[in-house]
Amino acid sequence: MRVLIIEDNARLARLTAEGLQRRGLSCDIAQTLALASDSLDVALFDLLILDLGMPDGDGLEWLRAERRRRDLPPALILTARDALEDRVAGLDAGGDDYVVKPFDLDELAARVRALLRRPGPRAPAILEVGALSFDPGSRMAAVAGNALELSRREANLLELLMRRAGTVVRREAIEDALYSFDETVTPNAVEAVVSRLRRRLAEGGAADMLHTVRGVGYLLQDPA
Amino acid sequence: MRRSSISRQLTQGLALVGLVGTLLLFLFVAIEYGMTFSTFFDREALPRVIHELSEHVLMPVLVLIVPMTLAARWVIRRSLAPLADAAERVDAAPEMARGFRIETGQLPLEAVPFADSVNALLARLDRAAGDQEAFAADVAHELRTPLTLLALEMDRLDPDTAAPLRRDIAHMRRLVDQLMLLAQIDADNAAQMPQTPIDLAELAADVAGRLAPLAVSQDRLIAVEGKAAQCVRGRREALAAALRNLIENALRVTPAGGTVTLRVGPDATIAVCDEGEGLSREQLDQLVRRHRRGDHASVDGAGLGLAIVARIMAAHGGSVTAEPEHRVVRLQFAPDTK
Repeated sequence: MRVLIIEDNARLARLTAEGLQRRGLSCDIAQTLALASDSLDVALFDLLILDLGMPDGDGLEWLRAERRRRDLPPALILTARDALEDRVAGLDAGGDDYVVKPFDLDELAARVRALLRRPGPRAPAILEVGALSFDPGSRMAAVAGNALELSRREANLLELLMRRAGTVVRREAIEDALYSFDETVTPNAVEAVVSRLRRRLAEGGAADMLHTVRGVGYLLQDPA
Repeated sequence: MRRSSISRQLTQGLALVGLVGTLLLFLFVAIEYGMTFSTFFDREALPRVIHELSEHVLMPVLVLIVPMTLAARWVIRRSLAPLADAAERVDAAPEMARGFRIETGQLPLEAVPFADSVNALLARLDRAAGDQEAFAADVAHELRTPLTLLALEMDRLDPDTAAPLRRDIAHMRRLVDQLMLLAQIDADNAAQMPQTPIDLAELAADVAGRLAPLAVSQDRLIAVEGKAAQCVRGRREALAAALRNLIENALRVTPAGGTVTLRVGPDATIAVCDEGEGLSREQLDQLVRRHRRGDHASVDGAGLGLAIVARIMAAHGGSVTAEPEHRVVRLQFAPDTK
């Protein structure tokens, strides 16, 4: 997994790169937007980490322009800007997520991993969250290598939760993903699938990973 | 010094004028008609004297002085009425309104210089407050890069050495975030940002969803109850920050294994219920005032956090209240009437 860090503060960029490298992500650094464009010309990246206040232009403008020019990997926006609305503007301009400075490396790494799990041409073949793994192609799930028996719907739910591991997946989103428009969804249908999946996970030895956020949705999170 | 009323002074003045006038008239009339003191004791002359006096003294005084007094009082009351109106408008000005000035258009000419100097003072205060806020925002902003660098350097230390330092940095980050938020609220207030309709149930679910991963990793749960859509008008990011602050506080005082519950409605409220000791009303009042902290508030800056929540709510015409017996802190909004 290769990450391009676009950040003008040399020390900050270097320390961020080192921190992410310790967490198993290889990083390149571009200290100007022009250098970032050059890097994108010559190499393939899985993720961009973009600081907004760059010396040679506005990061959001650059992102918008680059998105029009080529297929960009997901972009995580790193900003010291504090205007609350800037975050929204960043997401509108094609940023996939944002982290506000001062950030914590663990938090940054978690967001990076979440973005890398998103489906796409460069997405990893096998999803992994803690001891849990899922192969979207074969629809096979396993805990620490031991296969889990899952129904089609349970597998779909697991994939959805794993792709967004570490964030709460809203109940409505689960309903939309698991059932087609013409299917009638009984009020407890989602709860039933979730509790079946939770039982399967517990049987497989991955208890304490699937959490209910009552009134909101469900959260799959590595307990470690 | 005894305070004087213009009406009263004027009435007294006119009464004095009336008295002196009456005496003078009386004197003139007496001379004119050759009256002496003995005349008053002359039984035959007395009716004529009384007639003359009432015709030439009493009547003119009554005809002139009484209507003049009434008219003057009326004129004064009328011309001072705009001052009372202006005072009412000043009283009604929102707490954090910037750019508020007394309208001098309706004021009598004599009161305008006073109003102008008050307005000039208000302008100076606005500028001072603006400078102060800009300064706080700058400080918070400038702190971000060094804090980030510090956190990144810390990552290279061995985890045992770094753990307490990382907690300190996390605390500083939160303070910086809150200062930035405060500056943002003030700036928005000054700029009178447009407000948008916000569904409280949706807001609660969104904020709860964002905080749930952190809560779960600390062995605590967040739940949302009440689905009825409750709409208010406001700045979504600011209200989300207010709610986030309350939930973070609630998570801190809730023991491991506990749940922080958000209850939306039935009217335009969001109640945040923790499973900790709960805040008393006095503690909340103190917490809401800046720089003070409740006894059990941790070192995580809950004091500043609640002050910010109170500011955000005030800017939205709402309030934050505590119900310690129910372990609830409640955000009460003015309902959306539009």
